[in-house]
Order: sequence, then structure tokens, then C-alpha cells
Amino acid sequence: VLPLVLLFVLAATSASAQEPPLPQILVARQLAEAEGLEVGDVVELSADGPAAPLKGAPYNSASGAPYKFQVAGIYEPTPDPARLGEVPREVRLHLPDLLRLTREPSTPEGAEHVEGINLALVDPNDARQFARDVANRMPGVNARRAVDAAGASGPFLVLERFHLAIAIVTIVAATMFLLALTIMLVDERRETVGVLRLIGLSVRRILVQVLLEGLLIATAGALFGLVLAVASESLINQFFQWRYDTALVFVRVTPSVAAKCIAIAVPLGAAATVLASWALMRRSGLRLARR
Amino acid sequence: MRGALGFAWLTLVRQPARAALGILGVAAVGALLFDMLLLSNGLVISMGRLLDRTGYDVRVSATDLGPNLGPLIPEARDVARAIAALPSVRSAVTLRIADARISTSESDRIFAVIQGTEAGAGRPWTLLRGREPQTPRELVLDEEGAERLSAQPGATVNVGASCTQGEDALPVLPFVVVGVVEFPFEDVGSYGAGVTARGLGEACGGTDIEAAHLILITSAGDPSAAVRDIHRLRPDLVAATNAQVLSRIQQGGFTYFRQISTVLSTVTLSFALLLITVLLTVSVNQRLGEIAALRALGFSARRVVADVFWESVLIVGIGGLLSLPFGGALAVWLDTILKRIPGIPADVHFFVFEPRALVIHSSLLAATAIMAALYPMRIVARLPIAATLRHEVIS
Repeated sequence: VLPLVLLFVLAATSASAQEPPLPQILVARQLAEAEGLEVGDVVELSADGPAAPLKGAPYNSASGAPYKFQVAGIYEPTPDPARLGEVPREVRLHLPDLLRLTREPSTPEGAEHVEGINLALVDPNDARQFARDVANRMPGVNARRAVDAAGASGPFLVLERFHLAIAIVTIVAATMFLLALTIMLVDERRETVGVLRLIGLSVRRILVQVLLEGLLIATAGALFGLVLAVASESLINQFFQWRYDTALVFVRVTPSVAAKCIAIAVPLGAAATVLASWALMRRSGLRLARR
Repeated sequence: MRGALGFAWLTLVRQPARAALGILGVAAVGALLFDMLLLSNGLVISMGRLLDRTGYDVRVSATDLGPNLGPLIPEARDVARAIAALPSVRSAVTLRIADARISTSESDRIFAVIQGTEAGAGRPWTLLRGREPQTPRELVLDEEGAERLSAQPGATVNVGASCTQGEDALPVLPFVVVGVVEFPFEDVGSYGAGVTARGLGEACGGTDIEAAHLILITSAGDPSAAVRDIHRLRPDLVAATNAQVLSRIQQGGFTYFRQISTVLSTVTLSFALLLITVLLTVSVNQRLGEIAALRALGFSARRVVADVFWESVLIVGIGGLLSLPFGGALAVWLDTILKRIPGIPADVHFFVFEPRALVIHSSLLAATAIMAALYPMRIVARLPIAATLRHEVIS
């Protein structure tokens, strides 16, 4: 079965039981909804556009003549971020049907070409060597690993980098605010710190206390942020899936993403607290307590 | 007002670290907000400018699929002539697009998009050096292709075209490079070449030699009238003005960036609002005794409320001003990242400045400054003077 974008010429009524069985196709869900197609409907497909219909052409319809198919099922197309927002006007049909549909009159049967052949190797680790063997033995045929064929600079990777850049800017902004707030909060505790210094606690001891306090607050904040992200994950996905009529998942809070957030947020919070307290600790206890 | 503004300024400079960090925080958030506003319409504006720059204002194709995805318009040359004869049309030129492997030797080869147009007609590219192709065996290359192949005007290159969606084994034909050009819609990192319609037809095996994917139209002044006339002449073809093409782009995949821009703008503003409110509230709470003393000295409630308001305005205002250059630099960086998406023309940008974005940015930040100041202003307005002073003395 090969996916192919074709043009719907006409949607006909349900097939009669007395007619010989028609070749079957699968129709993309979005296309089926847009055209009101259901399982059992008969549609006409042609491999060419309406610009040059050649009426009366034989079974072969490479020149534009339509050919009848029966809808055997509706399928959910593989989501493609590059085609977000578009209605996937796709059908899937058996390869022999597709070749008959698209074959030029001058092309003998069995001499058609296909764009690609998907292979499952016995040992997937042999993929590189297999690609090299194909290149050596069959010049003109290009074998690539599925990972390489997907392309290193695909939209997914680019969007990931874009989101990372946005995240960096957000972290920078959050750090500024965090520092400003911690400076104010530490300033508020100036007297307490002064008294602690006067009763004999060392700067190191107070800094450890501040660090622990900062760690606790940062951990609690990071966990709250994660809970908020997990709670909103489903809402965001539902909204965008509804908006674009796609099965694409837009947000996924994976364990690695969660770990990354904790790894950034907790040290950042603790460091901001210590940094803000450091200036205060350098002053004498008397000066702090006097206020 | 000047007194309140001056007092707010003194309050800020009295605690420079706190004020500077608050302002820098607003600047970072403001920069992100500014960029999201540039992103919301940037691609459409940029694509619109690019479409207008080509000089064609109507595009005719066989279907509404992309320019090289849809079927060919058969006998396109005759169709173009018929369209050019319409009173609402000034000129029409056919365009066929194919993939090609262009080489000077076994090792020096590039995979390029090759475009074929009628000789003598206006071209969908800009000539930089040399001349336009006039005969079927002449070709123009883009700067990158010419450099990669070391093929300046006068050199001969071999072209193996691929004219269907799949691979096809067409004969390799020699072409003479006669010029170096620039293609407005060329992708980043890709190569382009241009030949005559007949040249491309022959490279495509000599079948459908008069066919084309697109007919590019320059209207006599009213593109909509041209579209109507073309539809009357050839109802089987799809004609679209630049505005309609842009509308399709807006409805297509790139709405993702508009959506993400809306979501991020909302999150950014909420974030800024929350943090500035907390910043001002903590600041006011720390100065309650001082504010009560000022009230006792004769400052009116209105005056101390105005101080808090102007403090918010100063933090957000200075931060907002700083956010513009920050945002500009950030936009350049983010644009570089996003332009790596395959299929994006090199001259198209995701972040495009428009005065409207600046107005919205300023309005949103102004609203944030006012809203962030509301709660601390309420605290100050309702401050019990005697009780606060007594509490200060006792504590």
C-alpha cells in the first residue's frame, strides 16, 4: 500500500452488490469528513488534474480519465508538522492499482517505477553497511538509513531549537526577577541575620542555612511548575489538535524534560538566594542589627 | 505629577540593585513579547513583500496545490497568450519547475531546482551578471550554484532533469551558462537554475514541451478583475491574486507560528504582571512605616498612591524601552534558527517589524504597568497612618 495525494473527481453512491468488486482504497479521515465519504462509498480517482481531462481514455488514466474505487476504510494519516493546518487530501491504494492508474499508455506493464522501497533488515545495526553495499552494487539506487532519510534539519529539530531559545530567554527573565525578589526578601531579614551573627553564628553557618532554605523553596517551586505543566499538557494538546484537526502531539512532559527543568530550576533558585545573601553577610553583625 | 515621578525615581535609585534587576527582568520579558508580536504576522508580511517584489500579481495553475506539486497546464504557451490578450492583463509568462542534477564533472555536481520560462518574456528571477538565456541550450545559475560548480558565464554544464515526482532516467544535456541570477523564492542552502521553456521541455524528455506548472500574470492594475476574466476564459484553471495566495499561507501550516506567538505573548505578559506585582508589593510592604510617616507629614493619599504608580511606570517603561534593542537582537537569532526549516525561501523572514507591533507592545506593557500597580496602590491607599506608625515604633 502506498500513500499518494490524488484528486477526487467525483464521489458516487454506494456500490451495488451485483457489480464486480471494485478495487479498494483507504481515505484519510480529514478528507472523508470534508467530502462526506463513508466506508462502502464509491469514488472516482484520476491521476491527473482537471486541466486536461481526456474523455474516453482506456482503463489507464494517466491522461486524466477517472477510475472507480470503493472506500474500504478511513485512516488517520501520520501527522506531519510541515503540513499543519492543511486538510490531508490523501488516499491509500494497493500498489498494482496505483501503477495501473498512473501508467503512461506507452509504458508496458511491469516496467513502472516506484519512488522507494522500505526494508526491514534482519539486524538493524547493518544499515550503514547495507547502504554502502547497495551503492556499490547498484549505481543509481540510493539506500539510506531511515534516520538519515528523515533529515537532520527537519522541522521537528528546528522547532525544538526554537523552543529551546525561547526557554533560555524565559529563564534569563525569570532569573532577573528572582534575584530582585530575593534581594528584597533578604533585605527584609537584615535584622534577624544581624542578631544571628551577634549571638555567634558564623557567616558560613548562616549561608548554609540560607542555601538549604533556597533549595527547599526552589524544589517546591520547581515541583509546582511541573505539576502545572503536566496538568496543562492535556489541555494544550487538546486545543491544538482541535485547532489543526491533527493527531500530532504538541506538548509532552517526558521524564527527561522534567529532569531538565528540575536540574535548571533548583540550582538557579538556590544560587539566587545565596548570591542575594552574600552582600548582606559581608557586613558586620552590629551594622545589620542596628538598622 | 512631576513631584510624584521624581519621588518614584528617587525610590528606585535608592536601591539600585533591586531596581536594575527588576528593569532587566522587564526588558527580557518585553523583548520576548516584542518578538512574539513580530512573529505573529512576520511570515505573511515577508511573503507578501516577496510576492510583490516579483512583479506578478496573479498566479494561474491547474489546481490549488503548490507550484510544483500540481499537474502541468497543457499547451500553457497558448493559454498564456490568450490570457495576455485580456484587457485586464498586461503580461503573462509560463513557468515550469523541475529538479535537476547539474554537473561540470563527476565530482562537481549540485542538485538544483530548475525553472523554465519563455524566451524574451519577463523572468521570475533577477539577473546579476551576464545575460538571460535566449536559446534552448543556455542556462542561468544562482550565485551559490555558480560558485559551487566554478561555472561562470561561458562555462558548459551537464543537466540531468527529473520532471516527475519520482526518479526518472532522462538524458543528460549540455547547457552553456550565460548568466548569474537571484531567485526570490529559493530555499536556504539550495541551488537554482533557469532556462527557456523549450530548454526545460527538452531536458524533460521532449514530452509536454509547451506545458507549464504556473502562468505568472501582471495585471493592468486590478488583480481581482484579472482573476475574474481568467476564470471566465478558462474555468478549469485556478487563478489567485497575491492576497489570495497569502490568505492560503495564513490558513496553512504557518498558522502554527501565529498560535505559538499568541500563547507565548499571553504567558509572557502574565509572568511579567505577576512578578512586577510581587516586586512592587514587597517593596511597598517594606516601606509601610516610611509611607505612613509621609502621610503624617502631610502627603495626601492620592500623592503616595501616585508614587507607587509612577514607580511601576518607571520600572516597566525603562524595561520596555530596553526591550526593543534586546528584542531586535533576539529576533535576528530566532529568525536564523527558524529559517533552517526546509522549504523556506532565503528572503523570507519570520520576524518582521511593523509599526503596529510597536503600538501593541507599548499598549500591552502600559496595561501591565497599570495592572501590576493596582494591588500595591490599594495597600498604600488604605494604610492606617497611626496604627502603622505605632507598629513601627514598637517593632
